[in-house]
Amino acid sequence: MVRSRHMLCATVAAVLLAAGPSRAATPKDTLVMAWNLDALITFDPAQIGEVNGNDIVSNVCDTLVRYDTQDFSKVVPSMAQSWSTSADGLTLTFKLRPDLTFPDGSKATAADAAWSMQRFVKLGFGNSANLTQWGFNRDTIDSAITAPDDTTLVVKLDKPYPEGLILSAAFAQNDAAMILEKSVGEKNAKVVDGKSDLGNAFFKTNPVCVGPYHVSKWDANEVVVLDRNDKYWGKKPNSRRVIVRHVPESGAERLLLEQGDIDVARLLKTEDLVALASNKDIHIEQTEMQGFQYFALNMADPILAKPQVREAFRYLIDYDELGRTLLQYNGIPRASLVPEGAFGALDRKAGQPFKLDLAKAKALIAEAGYPDGFEMKMILSVNNISPNLAQHLASNAAKIGIKISLEQMADAQLFTRGRAREFQIQEVGWGAGEPDADSMISRHAVDPDPRAEAKLAQYPSWRVSFYSKEINDKAEQAKMERDPAKRIALYHEIQEYMMHNGPMVYVYQTIRPIAYRSNVKDFLINPFTVDYGSAVK
Amino acid sequence: MGRFLSWLGSILVTLLGLMMLTFFIGRMLPIDPVAAIIGDQADQATYLMVKHQLGLDRSVPVQFLFYLRDMLHGDLGEALFTGHRVADDLAHVFPATVELASLAIVIGAGIGVPLGVVAAVWKGSWIDQLARVVGLLGFSSPAFWLGLLGLMLFYATLGWVGGPGRLDISFMDEVEPVTGLMLVDSALQGEWEVFDNAWRHIILPASILGFAAMAYISRMTRSFMLDQLSQEYIVAARAKGLSQGRVVMRHAFGNILVQLVTVIALAYAFLLEGAVLTETVFAWPGFGHYLTAGLLAGDMNAVLSCVLIVGIIFIALNQLADFLYRRLDPRTR
Repeated sequence: MVRSRHMLCATVAAVLLAAGPSRAATPKDTLVMAWNLDALITFDPAQIGEVNGNDIVSNVCDTLVRYDTQDFSKVVPSMAQSWSTSADGLTLTFKLRPDLTFPDGSKATAADAAWSMQRFVKLGFGNSANLTQWGFNRDTIDSAITAPDDTTLVVKLDKPYPEGLILSAAFAQNDAAMILEKSVGEKNAKVVDGKSDLGNAFFKTNPVCVGPYHVSKWDANEVVVLDRNDKYWGKKPNSRRVIVRHVPESGAERLLLEQGDIDVARLLKTEDLVALASNKDIHIEQTEMQGFQYFALNMADPILAKPQVREAFRYLIDYDELGRTLLQYNGIPRASLVPEGAFGALDRKAGQPFKLDLAKAKALIAEAGYPDGFEMKMILSVNNISPNLAQHLASNAAKIGIKISLEQMADAQLFTRGRAREFQIQEVGWGAGEPDADSMISRHAVDPDPRAEAKLAQYPSWRVSFYSKEINDKAEQAKMERDPAKRIALYHEIQEYMMHNGPMVYVYQTIRPIAYRSNVKDFLINPFTVDYGSAVK
Repeated sequence: MGRFLSWLGSILVTLLGLMMLTFFIGRMLPIDPVAAIIGDQADQATYLMVKHQLGLDRSVPVQFLFYLRDMLHGDLGEALFTGHRVADDLAHVFPATVELASLAIVIGAGIGVPLGVVAAVWKGSWIDQLARVVGLLGFSSPAFWLGLLGLMLFYATLGWVGGPGRLDISFMDEVEPVTGLMLVDSALQGEWEVFDNAWRHIILPASILGFAAMAYISRMTRSFMLDQLSQEYIVAARAKGLSQGRVVMRHAFGNILVQLVTVIALAYAFLLEGAVLTETVFAWPGFGHYLTAGLLAGDMNAVLSCVLIVGIIFIALNQLADFLYRRLDPRTR
């Protein structure tokens, strides 16, 4: 027995003591990030629809033009060193740099750019809306975007859009304006049912682009490794290598950051960020993004079709309290559909005029004919703070007799139900493509055809059966208006109308918190890019 | 020969039934894999196109037949939620789980069996009470909580073990994957520094998983031993004047081996299914996390392949247990 006990103790001791001190600290020339990579399914710019993929690919693939880092309303050269618009406003011509090369040393030309944009539309993934909303379509794209020579890219437009708007919306820091290597795509194209995938299966894991880094390894749900592209035309990235580790748990990520085993943490939850805030070795950068979290009220439901009911929901949200508590490190309260920082946005005060007012909400639903309240069902994601936000609304609604039952689900299911209009209330998020009011208004206020058979599921306005010809016309007028002051005035009108009558109850504009160790300097972070190459250790 | 064919047939029918059940249940889930691929902003034409490409516009039985056809050709398909071939993903995640589960079962059985024996022999003593408390803790402690606590203590505070992940960044790519088992590959290639690092990373998650296995194994061992120790042949052995050690180890323990093999094999099979929460906390790129992510994305290619593997594991371990029965118990030969 004594021997058995000794054996037991020895086993436990061996297990613990065999593990001596572990080595930490990341290599000097390597930037190590931790993030939850669960949602990462592709690096093909034509297909990317989630945050991780966009973030990584924006460091692998340059775009034709980009936003000025000091003023997002301005577009500055990138791979295109200049551009011009024809007198009739229907032709946009880009002049590309002559020194663009892919990581394998091949020259990147305008023909690669044209092919990349054509496949972007032809493949038709969610991203394709970045071009199709500007009149490009599968049938005309080959003649609409052409390359007469190696450095000239000609884009024919269906309407004379204001140059600043079309550049910002379609060609600046946008997946649509990335250049993939045409010969590689054609060589690796797969044909299914007689139809080519235009290299999609290959580019999913190997995006061969012109950019500061190239993807050298991607082990799904474990790690993504980017290595410096030594043939890059632009400024040489400071880190030779970038490693993005899959760490799906916030607490574990925080420990890694504190120990110096990673340089940058991308997934931290509020409680961990609060705990890190006083740590002098850690810096937390909060960036106001161009995205929203909102409650979509389906107007196909006769109760929600009443404007008073929709207005009442806005008075059931305690924006001030949320801002102080739940939204810390998550967002800033905002009720307007255009995010702060975008061209044409209402200012912070005008963009959030609501306060919790149960009496007013009660009066509004009584005016709508429901003095005793009603019952509703809400669908929402299990992720992030969605459940807390839904509970906040449900709890206040219950006080005036509105009983909201909550149904949580995986994102894939939430999107499916949304696209199929199978909900009464849906809590969901949306990101604007560019810093211009048109980006949100053209999808959330404009509905080209509200009929069910139109199946315009890419329009959140269609999903909630919202249709206003007046708003459609005004949005089109604003889009085509060349006088900036007039455009802004029109966008303000639309925002004011939608804020009180629209089907979406916007709750907050998202904030992206990124925590990194204080020895990481000059890290350029803005709503449109996290520039890995800028970081110096 | 006839017996072999019958045995093989029963295994194939079991696997087919398992896959069929999983496939039809999977198709009944209200999760649309098309949405995961095309994103929330795609138009309806794209939706229909991708749905057709994935074969989801066919009837469910036809989809299943196509899946079976591809599988018989060795094609497990593409995992929609990772963008990789399922076979490539599995070649990556399964060894990670095998390595973790194997070490966990060694720890679980290595401590659980002796603890159960001691607790039975000294029933009601302090050591029995201690074993009971340890067992209770092992059963009831949430792996997620235990994992974070372990990381805070042994990684962040004491620095005894590595953090989440299989290796420190500085050791990444230093070993060529052969078996996919980091400890084995590094040892085979003589990369002892990598071996040491991999050991530091695996020991904590393996201990936490092993702790839960130990709780189960020790309680079962105690129960089996108590049953044997109350048998008349044990009284007779003691009356013959045999030593306590000989009575316990040779007679009582020898007779519970068959049952123990079953318990340990089952515990190992459950560990091989993957421990999602432990894998999540420790950023362990394992099977459980992969299966769960596939399920939530409605990715039937990934889910079915995983279910097939789990089925094969259970069948293989059952066969192994049967084989060991025959070795350990002459009556079954």
